[in-house]
Formats: sequence, structure tokens, C-alpha cells
Amino acid sequence: MKEKVATVRNMGKAYPTGEGNFWALKHINLEFVRGEFCGLVGPSGSGKTTLLNILGSLDKPSEGEVEVLGKQVHKLNHRQASELRAENLGFIFQTYNLLPVYSVYENIEFPLLLLKMDATKRDRMVRDAIEWVGLEDKIKSRPNQLSGGQCQRVAIARAMVKRPELVLADEPTANLDSENSYMILDTMQNLNKELGTTFIFSTHDQKVISYLKRIITLTDGEVSCDDIQIST
Amino acid sequence: MIFKLALRNILNNGWRSLINILILSIVLIIIIWMQATYHSWITQAEIQQGLWEYGEGILRARNYDPFDPLSFDESHAKIPSEYQTGILEGDLIPILLSPASIYPQMRMQAAVLKGIPQNQDVVVFPSEKLDHEEGDLVPVLIGQVMAKSSRLQEGDIFTIRVREITGSFNAIDAIVKEVLQIPAPSADIGTIWMDFDLLQKLRNAPDMASYFVMRNSKYFGKETEDFRFVDRNEYFADLYEMMDASSLQQTTIYGLLVFLAMLSIFDTQALAVFRRRKEIGTLSAMGLTKGKIISLFTLEGVLYTAFAIFLTPILGFPLFWYFATKGFPVLEGFDSFGLPGFVEPIMYEYPIGEILVIFAVILVLTAFVSWLPARKISKLDPVDALRGKVD
Repeated sequence: MKEKVATVRNMGKAYPTGEGNFWALKHINLEFVRGEFCGLVGPSGSGKTTLLNILGSLDKPSEGEVEVLGKQVHKLNHRQASELRAENLGFIFQTYNLLPVYSVYENIEFPLLLLKMDATKRDRMVRDAIEWVGLEDKIKSRPNQLSGGQCQRVAIARAMVKRPELVLADEPTANLDSENSYMILDTMQNLNKELGTTFIFSTHDQKVISYLKRIITLTDGEVSCDDIQIST
Repeated sequence: MIFKLALRNILNNGWRSLINILILSIVLIIIIWMQATYHSWITQAEIQQGLWEYGEGILRARNYDPFDPLSFDESHAKIPSEYQTGILEGDLIPILLSPASIYPQMRMQAAVLKGIPQNQDVVVFPSEKLDHEEGDLVPVLIGQVMAKSSRLQEGDIFTIRVREITGSFNAIDAIVKEVLQIPAPSADIGTIWMDFDLLQKLRNAPDMASYFVMRNSKYFGKETEDFRFVDRNEYFADLYEMMDASSLQQTTIYGLLVFLAMLSIFDTQALAVFRRRKEIGTLSAMGLTKGKIISLFTLEGVLYTAFAIFLTPILGFPLFWYFATKGFPVLEGFDSFGLPGFVEPIMYEYPIGEILVIFAVILVLTAFVSWLPARKISKLDPVDALRGKVD
């Protein structure tokens, strides 16, 4: 039996509105195991990003329990949540969110600096990550000197450099053309296979969906379908 | 890590950073220049007043209160026998003081006569110029302020009327031997200097003196029944008071300048928190605590000051060097204002200790004004920040 990475039990997330609460997520029960390559799929407003943010300890559920890598996210304080993210989670965003003042190398190195890793080990890990995404020739470039696809590859390397247990990717291909989308999906799939890292996507992009091994469909804040894909 | 990121952000900010650094640097240059003016002026005034009046100390007649002109008539005492050796050896010079009426160009004006021995060399006052022969007009010396207020010029002859200590009046005709530039106002304003022996005769006050100026410390603490020691703090009290008043004005100007510079930094950092909220969200997602993100923004503000401090001596060098070598010129008319030390150009000295304190205060202030907008980050939800939302 595979090790659980995240468990969601009876989870709901409500936002206050003028007329009471709006439930963005309701009765969510999910389990994610190590090495999964799965996606939260659904139309805009279905709660994909909200669920991803809760799994990433960036947000807290309004009810229910969420356990990520043995930590009860709903009980973590700000510092503990920061620690969990720094040590075990990687994020990939739709708009890359690279630090504009840093070079490719420095952007990828940044999460390791948070872990206070020694310089030699850090350098080796950064160079490994750069190799994974094939950006060896752009090591000194700044984000504004890179294409969208290259920026997203830097973001993947940054998320992967510390070899986290779980990577959360929010619409990672939304700003990319087909060629770049397939390129980064291939990269993530390879990393998933080689390193056994769990990837959870939030997406409605068919290209991404075609790569997923498990598709969790959200409709109006509820899980309407949870399909395991049989690889061909 | 935080320092490196802050530094990169500042450098990447381009002209916005440059403007902040330049504004702060100019403010620092002005503050240093003003502080040096104040410091050099007080130093020069103290030195000049010491050279012209105070010597190494003063033994003053207990009856003499320089702040009470009505007491001047009685402001003398018999020269004590224990001071005679000091007078003969030149360690003490006696000064006699007397209220008088002068009659320049048919006008009557009150004045203070001060008698000083011609042959003294304890103070720089050119008392040898008071030398005269029997039957000559009595030579007197006055300062520029007195010359202006009495409208007397070199060579003018006028009458002086003095009351003897016995009560009867005496009068002489005097000639202004020279109008001096005296940097010590109390030796100038309303004062006419004449020969000590002559004034004793005029007052019919043989063996009397109002105070003694010391050449050295030999007579420190040697007070008598009629004379007491006046230390530097007491003697320079009015100078210090004047400086304190001036210091208050300066502090107000400093405050205003620093306020404007801080406003510029506050503005930049407030804008940065707004503009870089996505970056804040990303840093938070990567595991940076809110405290560290606040430190990052605060440090950026402090770095503006650090750069400005570095730039200040470079930008300010020509100005600082000019005033250190050429001095602050005596502007026309300033020499007759009666401001202590304002007779010759003030040569600037830069008080390093005070300047370092100013730098430290501004560093702390910058940290505070950078922290003010940055503390908003503690209330910022990382999800909202990632979406680019801000309250």
C-alpha cells in the first residue's frame, strides 16, 4: 500500500458574503498517495485553486480536516505552515512568479537558502535542477530575458530543487503555447517518474488532463468524479 | 538571503532608488553643514572670548553683577594683598569698571568704562594703544558695535563724565584711538576701554578693581572676602544660552528636512508593498514567514539610508572642504551684530561624534518609516497576495 501524502476529510471552505456564507468547497473527502500525478479539474469557480491552496497550507478550511505529510493543516499556525511549505512543498503558478531581480540560478537557489543548506550541496542541487529543465545555457539570465516556457521551466526547477514530497501546480500551462505546454508537462512527468514526487494540478487544460493519471472533477465546490486513468 | 534580495531590489529599482538616496544624501549634507556651522561657531566664540576677556579664569568682585547695570557703580573692591604678587608678576591683570555718561556730538549716552593696564599681555586686547603723555587727550579704544551705536569714529573727541566713588563728578575729554574688531560682544557693546590707572584716578578709587583676569591656574580657587572665582560655565552661560536657542531652531530645521526625506522613503515603500504583493505571496508560498518578509521591506528602506550615508561624504566633499579651508565668510554688517565669534571667517570643524549620532538616528528613523507600510504584510492573506489583491 502506498504512503499517503495528503488526506482531506469532510472539508468545506466558506467565504463570508453580504447574505451569509458562500461555500466554495463542500464535503470534500480525498486521499493522495506518494507518486501520484493527478489533477483537480473543473470549470472556473469550481473550487480547484481553493483546494490547492488549502493543500498547500496557504489557506485554511472552514470545516473538516486536512492532513498534509502528517501535519494537520487546519491546526497549523502561520510559522508552522511556513515551515511545512519551506521544507516539503513546491508551488508552480500560472504566472510563474519568479523573482525579477534574481537570475535563473538565484531563483532556483532561493528555496534552498530558506533551508540554510551548505553552499556546496546547494550548488549541486541547483545545477541538478537546472539540468532537469534543460536551462543550462540560461543560468545567468534574468526572468525578463526568458520566454514564457523558459520561465515556467525555471518555476518547475525552483519547485523541485529541494525535492519536495508534494508539488502543487496551479494552471501551469495556462499562459503557454502548445509546444511549451507539452514540453513542461513532459518535464514534470519525467520528474514524477524519476523522483517519485507527487504532483497535484489545478487545470481545465485538455493537454494537462491528457497527462494525468488521476482526474478529480470538481463541480460547484464538490467532487463530482474521481477517476484513475489506466495508462496505455 | 534577505539582505541580498533587499539589495537587489534596491538596485533594480533604478531611478526611484536613486532619487531616494539623493534626497537623503542632500539632507545629510545640509545637516552636517549646519551642525558644523554650529559646532565651529561655538568653538570659535569660546576661543575668542577666552582670548579677549576670560584668559584662564576670572576673579570677580562680589559686588559686580554683569547682568545688573545698576550695580556697576559699586562694582569694585579693594585689591587684596594676596593678589599683589600676581599683579606684579603678570599672572593677574586687574580691570576696573565704571558707569559713565559720554557726550559724542552733543548727545548724551550711557556707557561702561573699563580700565585695563597698558602693559598687560594676558588677553589679546591691544592695551598698549592706550599709552599717552601727560596733557594729551585721553586715548580710548572701542569696538565696532559701540562705534556704530555711539556714532563715534577713530579720531573723534568726546567728553566722558564719571562719578567718583565719593559721589562727586569728574569729566575728561577723550579721543577714539582706534575702532577695534572685538569678537567678544561683552567687551564691545556699550564699552569704552581706557588706561587702568587713569580710570582709578578718574573714579578716585585707588587700589580698587572690579575683576582680575588670570594668565594661568595659579590663582584657581584663591577667593577672598571681596573676590570670587568665576568658572567657564558661569562666564559663558549667556553664550551657551544663545547657542541653545540656536540649537532649537536648528533641530526644527533638521526635523523638517528629515521628515521630507522620510516621507519619500515611506512613499516608496508603501508603493512597493502595493506593487509587489504578488512577490509577497510567492515568498510566502516558498515558506518565508511574514516576519521575514516585513524585515525584507524594512531592510530595503534602511539600505537607502546606508547608500545615502556612503554617498554623503562624496557628494558633500567640495562643500565641506571649502568651508574647512576658506571658512564661513563674515557677511557685510555681521561684524557689527554683536554675535560672539563673528568677526573673522568661521573655519569649519566637523564633529565626527555628532555626525555619527545623526547617521544612527536617521538609520533608526528610516527603519521605522519603512516598517510602517511593511507591517501591513502581517495582515495580508498569502492567497490574496498571490492573486494580487490588497486591502
